[in-house]
Amino acid sequence: MELLNITNLHKRFGNKEVLKGLNLTVPQNSIFGFIGKNGAGKTTTMKTILGLIKPEEGAVKVDGKKVIYGKTKTNRHIGYLPDVPAFYSFMTAKEYLAFCGEIAGMDKAQIKTRSEELLSLVGLENERHRIKGFSRGMKQRLGIAQALLGHPKLLICDEPTSALDPVGRKEILDILKSIQIETTVLFSTHILSDVERICTDVAFLDNGRISMQGKLADLKSSYRREEYLLELDNEEDKQTLLRVFPEIKKNKEGALTFYESEHSLFDVLKFITAKKVALLKVQRMEPSLESLFMEVVEK
Amino acid sequence: MKTMLAFIKKEWMEQVRSGQLIILGIIFVLLGIMNPAIAKLTPWLVEIMAETLAQSGVIVGTVTVNALDSWQQFFKNAPLGLIAFIIIQSRIFTKEHQSGTLVLVVTRGMDRTKILVAKATSLVALWSVGYWLSFTITYGYNGYFWDNDIAHNLLFSVVCWWLFGLLMVSLVVLFSTMAKSNTGVIAGVGFSALVLYMISFYPKLSPYTPTLLTAGNALVRGLKKIREYQNSVATTFALIVLCFTLCIPIFNKKQL
Repeated sequence: MELLNITNLHKRFGNKEVLKGLNLTVPQNSIFGFIGKNGAGKTTTMKTILGLIKPEEGAVKVDGKKVIYGKTKTNRHIGYLPDVPAFYSFMTAKEYLAFCGEIAGMDKAQIKTRSEELLSLVGLENERHRIKGFSRGMKQRLGIAQALLGHPKLLICDEPTSALDPVGRKEILDILKSIQIETTVLFSTHILSDVERICTDVAFLDNGRISMQGKLADLKSSYRREEYLLELDNEEDKQTLLRVFPEIKKNKEGALTFYESEHSLFDVLKFITAKKVALLKVQRMEPSLESLFMEVVEK
Repeated sequence: MKTMLAFIKKEWMEQVRSGQLIILGIIFVLLGIMNPAIAKLTPWLVEIMAETLAQSGVIVGTVTVNALDSWQQFFKNAPLGLIAFIIIQSRIFTKEHQSGTLVLVVTRGMDRTKILVAKATSLVALWSVGYWLSFTITYGYNGYFWDNDIAHNLLFSVVCWWLFGLLMVSLVVLFSTMAKSNTGVIAGVGFSALVLYMISFYPKLSPYTPTLLTAGNALVRGLKKIREYQNSVATTFALIVLCFTLCIPIFNKKQL
């Protein structure tokens, strides 16, 4: 089941065309990593989903309903955490959540139980100070709490971890992972380790288009190109191998790498046994998200 | 309605906690006291100056003051209150545009028109309470020292001034939906007021311009009749409605 569907989205700011026909589908109950370089158009896409930006072309559907710029009906299903969330700093965290609940039309009892639940989820239950004195991490956590207040079907987070220290990042990621059962999470980032830690699905945004998207595990296995790594003890043996098998490359650490498509692993191993080469290690390489990303961006 | 009340409650909390409410309160109370105080002190001031004036050959007779002098002060000082009000409240929208606090409100599904109505209602309420507080204080002192009955068309004249203030408030709302910063709002309102004054210099147009409403002094002294103000009241009403209607589509299209 698709919760979010974007088709052929175009947006330009002045001369700069930021989105050039973006297509994106987010399945329900996924944690969707929206990956792209700074300035790739991640925030623009997210703001369009929220009806904050008017696209020149294309359509956005949330839970089957079309998003219209300036109108906010579809936002009732969405929780949003902007990259730098701005709150009314004269309120306390509890007062702010109460205000959010009231403008969303929740009743008093509902607001009370839900805010207590969420404040303890994000670890702000004992915070009595006004938001004015909050650290960035605290604001980000309050941001998640306010976004989840109305039990949204979709939670959109714009680079939720970018400005945080490692402890703060871990806290946010743990919270996002813990809510997956009831909420679909779409979060943009350029920190690939965060994606590998919690995401089920990913999309790469490059040059205004989605260059690749799907289940993280599927993408990784489809891009697995059977790369092998050899570690040898002796420098002379390395040179011999490099001569005999021209496609083998030497990496920075001095180990040799090659693809199955270039030289069969068994041929190489046969040669090694025949020449009685001292072998330290043979390893099949797992593709990392980083290598995937680099490949996509360089294409 | 419930969501709008919640937003008005937030505006109220902001006015209280930022100290704006107390500042406005002090200004309007002070103005209310100042009007009769200045009138009351005039004879005494004249007496002090009479001696020096007599030396230079000017002979000053005894000066008597009454409620009309105090009301004259009221109409003279009302612009001060209005200007202070506009300056203090010029950030009511732009502060939120600059900090981005409305993003989370709008993305929560709150209708933009409701935000606008809630803010406009708060401004109108604040202006009205402040202005009428000032009026009540002056009225009370005037009744205590002198007699308010000698003022003609008193209620009509002060309602006119309040209405002029309301027009300025509607301009604050209108320019707030357009400008990025509060300087833009102040400049916009100031420029509009200037244009209105310029128009009022044309004798043919002057009975229709809202600035006529500020000429309350002529009314209380009985120099002008209520019906001479009818056209001006009508234009002012029309302009207020126009401002409030125009700002809705502008605010709806504004990028937050």
